[in-house]
Amino acid sequence: MAIFFEFVFNGAVLGIMYALVAVGFTLFFGVLDVIKFSHGDVLTLGAFSGLIAFLALQLVGLDLPFLGLIFVLLVACLVTGAIGAGIGQLFVIPMRNSSAFNILLMTLMIGTVIRESIRLFYPNGANPKAFPSLLPKTPIELGGVFLRLDSLILLALGFAVVFLTHWLIRHTKLGLAIRAVAQDGDTAQAMGIPFRRTVLATFALGSLLAGIAGVMHGIYYSEINFSVGLLLGIIGFSAAVVGGLGSIWGAIIGGFTFAALQTLWVVVFPDASGYRDVFAFAAIIIAMTIFPTGIIAERYSERV
Amino acid sequence: MNPLRVVSSVAIIAFAVVWTIVVLAAEEQWQVGAALAVAAVAIVAVSRMKAGAELASLLTDSGSWVVWTIPVAVVAIAVAIHEDHFQLMMLASVLIYGLACIGLTIQFGYAGVINFAGAAFFGVGGYTAAVMGSTGVPSLLILLAGGFMAALIGSIIILPVLRTQGHYAALITIAFGLLFRSFLEVNPALGGPQGLKVEGASVAGHSLLNGITFGSFEASFYLNYVLLALAAFTLFFLLARNLEKSWIGLNLDAVREDTVGASVFGINVAGWRIFAFVVGNFLIGVAGALFAMMQNFIAPSNFTFSDSLLMLSIIVLGGIGNLWAVLPAAILVVVFPEKLQGIGEYRILVFAILVVLFLRFRLAGLFPRAIRQFRREVGQ
Amino acid sequence: MTRLFSAKDVSVKFGGLQALDSLSLDINEGTITGLIGPNGSGKTTFFNAVTGLCNLSGGQVSIDGKEIGGLPARQIYQFGVTRTFQRSRLCLSLSVFDNIVIGRQNSLDLGIFSNLIRRRQFNQSVRENYERVHGLLRAFSEPLAQRIFDPLHRLNMIDRRRIEVCRALIAEPRLLLLDEPSAGMTPDETREFMGDILNVRKHNPRMSIIIIEHEMDIMQRVAEHCVVLNYGRKVAEGTFEAVVADPWVQEAYLGAS
Repeated sequence: MAIFFEFVFNGAVLGIMYALVAVGFTLFFGVLDVIKFSHGDVLTLGAFSGLIAFLALQLVGLDLPFLGLIFVLLVACLVTGAIGAGIGQLFVIPMRNSSAFNILLMTLMIGTVIRESIRLFYPNGANPKAFPSLLPKTPIELGGVFLRLDSLILLALGFAVVFLTHWLIRHTKLGLAIRAVAQDGDTAQAMGIPFRRTVLATFALGSLLAGIAGVMHGIYYSEINFSVGLLLGIIGFSAAVVGGLGSIWGAIIGGFTFAALQTLWVVVFPDASGYRDVFAFAAIIIAMTIFPTGIIAERYSERV
Repeated sequence: MNPLRVVSSVAIIAFAVVWTIVVLAAEEQWQVGAALAVAAVAIVAVSRMKAGAELASLLTDSGSWVVWTIPVAVVAIAVAIHEDHFQLMMLASVLIYGLACIGLTIQFGYAGVINFAGAAFFGVGGYTAAVMGSTGVPSLLILLAGGFMAALIGSIIILPVLRTQGHYAALITIAFGLLFRSFLEVNPALGGPQGLKVEGASVAGHSLLNGITFGSFEASFYLNYVLLALAAFTLFFLLARNLEKSWIGLNLDAVREDTVGASVFGINVAGWRIFAFVVGNFLIGVAGALFAMMQNFIAPSNFTFSDSLLMLSIIVLGGIGNLWAVLPAAILVVVFPEKLQGIGEYRILVFAILVVLFLRFRLAGLFPRAIRQFRREVGQ
Repeated sequence: MTRLFSAKDVSVKFGGLQALDSLSLDINEGTITGLIGPNGSGKTTFFNAVTGLCNLSGGQVSIDGKEIGGLPARQIYQFGVTRTFQRSRLCLSLSVFDNIVIGRQNSLDLGIFSNLIRRRQFNQSVRENYERVHGLLRAFSEPLAQRIFDPLHRLNMIDRRRIEVCRALIAEPRLLLLDEPSAGMTPDETREFMGDILNVRKHNPRMSIIIIEHEMDIMQRVAEHCVVLNYGRKVAEGTFEAVVADPWVQEAYLGAS
């Protein structure tokens, strides 16, 4: 029974990470009807930025565990937010009237540029890098169930970020602007909402969620590698699609669904846990077959 | 036919042949760099000159006889470099990747079906060749089997691709590509990460691993593979060209440009997408089988997502939907990274950047697709 | 007069919006029916419903007594229904000829062998279709016929509209749906355009046309029978004169135009 809870817990941590990525995808699609496929690799960039930030701290001789985490997260968010907005400004917004394919292919290649740059230019980038454990790994016992403290904190952090994002979308002026632009960009502009600024803010927001997810991933697995974003990106994208592109709750549900599936696989077939990723990809393909427009149907479809 | 037009076109093709020989045979880095610069200048110049437009219309509008320029040109190149193993192997690789890109052109250039798993289907063909190589089945049949297996697997994942639109279809092929590689690495039955040995090809009892000797003419055994790849490429090039200039090609274009308009006029959108996807994968599988036989070895690391992106780069940089652009673009993407030491490791990065720039600034590729016109058929 | 087309209590709902509300309409062979109404009254939605581009939430649609409601668009085409679109839907990267010949789906040989291998036969098929397309284009504009192999993106909007109508006409349809064909044209161009369409119709006298138009001159000239829609419902029906004389129509619609 205790093992069951441990699995559920681990699945939840995975789920919240997928959810953060998925929410990013869904925000981009909602606001501009684009699939920004560089998103996953921006996550990797965030993780590596965090790593560099930590190494910089070490170099200077500072070793403050809790503040260290804050600093790393801050750097990751700044970098990913800036890059996300930059990609939007330079590439996506100017191309927004192009065919969806062109934008998808272009952003996919932008992601590839990021991924390859990390692999080539970070020292020994092709191999996995140890990620600092910025949180105490002390085991905690809750009614017979053994959990790591850092996982608990990560889970709490993830949920906090998700709720914060939801609050932002629902209860702030920026959130209102985002929802207006997502509903109907032209009308929103006509009503005086600054279109470009709102879109860029959305890109920055979605991207910094990825940055947080990247750092979380690094802390949880104690390592990162240059292709982690590709994997998380495709699962996050599928989660957003299955949940219905444009719906934040759908993205979150989708993220947890995939995490649950993967955890289930490892539980049911412990010997075949190496096939965990294969199973995830197969699940994506099957999910798309059954729910071609997501569980919560995609909101904006073509008008004839 | 205007004789001047023919002369200028032949001159351009001859120039391209000589240029390719120089690139393949170049030993010094400066020679390769110079060739690249010359190519850039030549392409810009020819595309502005009337001669360029005449060549384009000659290649597009002429009857099937014009396809013979490909084997003539390639044999000329092959003869010029006939002694060097590595150069001939690169030439064969260009033809093999070119064949795969004909498949991608049919899928994406014509029908608009994006395929991010090109390298995976290439790998399906390769692994089919590996598995069947030791069974004694004739090599030519193995090639067809490789294509057939790729087409078969393609027809399984096309069902989710069809039920979904644009970006979802992309997602499925990306997922499949990653799944394929992951599966191969974990599964020991197909060699795991270490890969498998592949039997070389043999035609009519003669193993292609033997060099060719005609009196004083001694050629590396790779010439065999060049000729085999050339035969396959030319055949499928001809068929693909006929496909484009046919009612089927018209339907594929309609499916790509406007599915709503197409369906209202009776076009079976889903049916044509399946057709293009399956046929395209067949060609990619044949190419993969050829590749495996030539290398005598395959491993999952040959068929990564980045390799799929490189294949897409070939058709995007060359000119989406233009069959004649496939070989020049394949030379760019396959040969130059090998020749320019230092670039090799960076090739994915370099070509990704180029593709981003081409797409961002709406460049239609080095040799944009010419419009289909039935002038010759109606006697104009 | 044979009944060609019949719509009974057709309803279309988009989420909360009732785009069509129990619309009933009968069309006889060889007639021209005008569909009038303010923007958003459901005219284009009706066309979409008939051609299978949107789902019916109620009612039946039939051609020659055969039920076509709920069939996919490409099957409805086989019953001889073609249309033009309010916002031109053409393949801009293809030639004029290519765009028009798409309309002949039901007659083109799509076999692999015929297209890839038997090229002489294929070339013959091209020549036959060329004659048809060229002939049809000439009925509209001789200079346009000269540009038969030009890429569509090089043509102006008026020529594009002509080509769209040609595409709908080339298959010799039973029922032709024209959605604001004259939008953007001057009155002279419009008169010429409608004249050309009527001329072509002489070769296919059994063809019926339903035309959506805001230009009342055209309606008066061309429509034998008019139907007025408002908020998805039919509010008036009859000859042009009768409909125009209807006090509601006069006040709500004609007064504003």
